[in-house]
Amino acid sequence: MNRWVVVARQEIRDLWLGGRGPTLVFAFSVLLSAMTYLSATNRGLNFLEQREAVNLTLQVAIAVGVLATMVVAADAISGERERHTLEALLLTPVPRRDIALGKLVSTLTLWAACVVVSMPYLWVLGRSTAVLGQAVVLIALVGTLVAVGLTGVALLVSALSDSNKTSLAVSLFVLLALFAPTQLPGMPKSWVGDLLVRVNPLASGMHYLSALMLNRHTWRQDLSYLLSPALTVLLTTTVFVIAAPRLIRLTRATS
Amino acid sequence: MIRLLATLGALLAASTPTPQPPGGVQVSLDQERISASIGQVLTLDTTVTNPGSAPTDRLIAHLNVASLDGVYVDLEDWSGDVTRVVEPIPAGGDASVEWEFQAVNTGNFDVYVVLLPGGSATAGRGPLVASPPVHVTVAPRQELNSGGALPVTIAVPVLLGLGVLATTRRRRRTA
Repeated sequence: MNRWVVVARQEIRDLWLGGRGPTLVFAFSVLLSAMTYLSATNRGLNFLEQREAVNLTLQVAIAVGVLATMVVAADAISGERERHTLEALLLTPVPRRDIALGKLVSTLTLWAACVVVSMPYLWVLGRSTAVLGQAVVLIALVGTLVAVGLTGVALLVSALSDSNKTSLAVSLFVLLALFAPTQLPGMPKSWVGDLLVRVNPLASGMHYLSALMLNRHTWRQDLSYLLSPALTVLLTTTVFVIAAPRLIRLTRATS
Repeated sequence: MIRLLATLGALLAASTPTPQPPGGVQVSLDQERISASIGQVLTLDTTVTNPGSAPTDRLIAHLNVASLDGVYVDLEDWSGDVTRVVEPIPAGGDASVEWEFQAVNTGNFDVYVVLLPGGSATAGRGPLVASPPVHVTVAPRQELNSGGALPVTIAVPVLLGLGVLATTRRRRRTA
């Protein structure tokens, strides 16, 4: 059996039987329930068309799902360092790259759970429209691309942080900084705004979703917006492949 | 000598095409009728054609929405981008402008584009040119089924909450 699979299994057990995974997914479902109920019932909220309601739920599901995944990833290395459990892991005959890969895969099971939990909500809002199948494909592909990239970033922050608090704070700040531009209306209308959207892996992913869901663009029309999340995945993977032995250490990694 | 220069000047002026006000320009839209539901984002393509022998001056294209049922239309709600500049079009050429707007009222509407002179030589001159109207029928919102949403919004967190309780109890037992 691959050694990263052994690490991933152990980490998955810790995440799901240790209670963190179920609690985060429960909190995620409570938030989506409130959003879905308001979208479905509250006339005063706005005049959301069904496509818009599905798109809004999809975007919230991705943003909050990525947030939950990043929280777990931010704890993955710095947390073990603080709890003095990293030493035991480093003593095992598992290469550091396999440790990083195992931790990434186990963290992404939380994202997979968020995707599964989102399905009933998307179904409730979009079942009478043709948009449901599109929403499911988009969360599975675009959402996963964004989640893998940002989870890699959080894992990197965790390896480079002095303490778990720093790691969590920096990861949350990064997510907030990336999420804020998605709330500004008309960002891609000027070339500067468009550039800012394109270099931001979260905003560009969200832009792609909206273009398909609301503006009914074809899947190829805005494909270039997915370059930024794809590059984030590539960059974080490359960093871990090259520098994992220096990043995963008992003391904070130094450049 | 002066007469010669004046004649030359007149000849040069005649050979340089003078920018024209939008009177001779034609504007058309790619659709005639649109049926939409409230909140839907719609797209229209406008083609501005210059069939004349002189280039147009800079033009301003303006999107308008008129209600046929007397409903108050706040254009700003339909689109935040209703005024576009159309750069001078050479003789026989054309230019296209794409509009994106959201149907925010229910009822029957005509959406049309007006061309106004926008260059320094033609501003305030000539007749305006309007496109044929696109008839937009906006149906009321298809209500989401709140009755269907409630069981799901309750059942999913309850099931996951039970999962959390089960893992907590299991942890306590094994601790």
